[in-house]
Amino acid sequence: MKDILKITASLTAVCVAASLILGAVYTQTEHARKEIEKAEKEEIIKSLLGFGHGHKPPADLVMHAVQRYVISDPSGKTLLGYVLPTKDGKFALVEIDLQGKPVKVLPVDATAAQLAEAATRDLAVSKALPQGAKAKYAETFYIADKGGSRFGYVLPGVTQGFKTFIELMVSLDPEFTIMGVAVEKHEEDPGLGAEITQDYFKNQFVGKTLDILAGLKVVKEPLPADYLEVLDPVKTKLAKLSPEKAKEIKQKHLKDDIYALTGATISSNALTRGVKDTVRKFVYRFDILKKAIDQEKVQAAF
Amino acid sequence: MNRNLQLIWNGLIPENPIFRLALSLCPSVAVTTSVKNGLMLGLAVVFVQVFSSCTVALFRSYINPRIRIPAYVLIIALWVSVIDMILPVVSPAVYKEVALFVKLIVAFAIIISRLELFASKEPFVPSFFDGFGMGIGFLFGLCLIGAIRELSGAGTLYGFDVLGFRPLLVMILPAGGFFVIGFIMAGMNYIEYKLTGKIPSAGGAH
Repeated sequence: MKDILKITASLTAVCVAASLILGAVYTQTEHARKEIEKAEKEEIIKSLLGFGHGHKPPADLVMHAVQRYVISDPSGKTLLGYVLPTKDGKFALVEIDLQGKPVKVLPVDATAAQLAEAATRDLAVSKALPQGAKAKYAETFYIADKGGSRFGYVLPGVTQGFKTFIELMVSLDPEFTIMGVAVEKHEEDPGLGAEITQDYFKNQFVGKTLDILAGLKVVKEPLPADYLEVLDPVKTKLAKLSPEKAKEIKQKHLKDDIYALTGATISSNALTRGVKDTVRKFVYRFDILKKAIDQEKVQAAF
Repeated sequence: MNRNLQLIWNGLIPENPIFRLALSLCPSVAVTTSVKNGLMLGLAVVFVQVFSSCTVALFRSYINPRIRIPAYVLIIALWVSVIDMILPVVSPAVYKEVALFVKLIVAFAIIISRLELFASKEPFVPSFFDGFGMGIGFLFGLCLIGAIRELSGAGTLYGFDVLGFRPLLVMILPAGGFFVIGFIMAGMNYIEYKLTGKIPSAGGAH
């Protein structure tokens, strides 16, 4: 009996000591880790717009973050809410019903820094809503303006991969042509499905217009050698292709389907489907949002 | 030879965790599709093994033998979590590469087996060198397997294109991991048999 008490006490002591150390380390490093995560995300967004790897974005490039919420009304109706910046530096919540009709516009009392943080953003949105309404955060997309005109869009997406979800980001130009694709998080097999993060695969999407994207398929054919040279930046450098020649090859393969990765057809399919769905849904939603902004005369910053 | 050097050498070849002790074969098959993966996981293991061995060696007289296993698991988990939290702050670039592997280490047989067999009986300094030796032995094994698999399966080495084609795709599939480990083990056993004339025996765990 005495023995068991001793064992229990010493195991408890080990646990307490371990949890104290963990707690101390966590609180000490939490802030730094969050900052790094944020910086990483910003880097991804910047590089998707073509300003990554040391290229400094121009000074007149302005990014507007727009948050999408799914709101359930006190009456039980489901609405979509978009938190967007307005011209006077404040924020507004535009409510749109599922048929695409604008319902109303509510002011959101928050700063940009508060909206960037998940907890304070949810609080600000629920304060802006009438009593009894519930809001669930869905996603954040970014609108980039350069010198007063539209430069591009960056949108997040999720798709079912080989084992679990693949989180991706797509950047579009003002005509909704793909500028870049990035894989943020994935658990595909290293050496096989994980190749979806490689430039030579991701770059196959670049330049695909909405029309091409709509009928885009994955084909189990080997990637043509000249196309690979253009897609892989390292190989482009080695092959010493002139920019005109590279452009010509790109143009030649522009309407090609996506060439599947060897041994990873499922992952190739997954990313292709993810990109297609993300772009299609965004174009549809953005069109509705734009109409709602016009109708309700919201002074949106973008 | 100095005992500490002897301990490191012991971990590297005569008691190599993968090829001689046959411990932690699971990760050695799963992540060694490239040299880089092997190297990163190996580095992470070196750290966790050294820290855990030192901790257990320091507190070995206070840990009741009847609860030593849960205590060891807690100590390993503690160090894994601490490294997982501190590394991104110290070096975000390195963390980006090893993040996936660090969390895997909690379940590695090699670490707990060294705590049980060595660190719980020996003082601090030898435990440190044993942990370090076992760690770099594991690192060496992972890199060797990774190099063979990457070169034959993907035609590259550390991401650089060496061959320009893929000779044997099966090598980067899980089956290839078993082949490579099996052949290296057989080769090492053969060499030992030729040198000592005795038939080698190996342990085994997941």
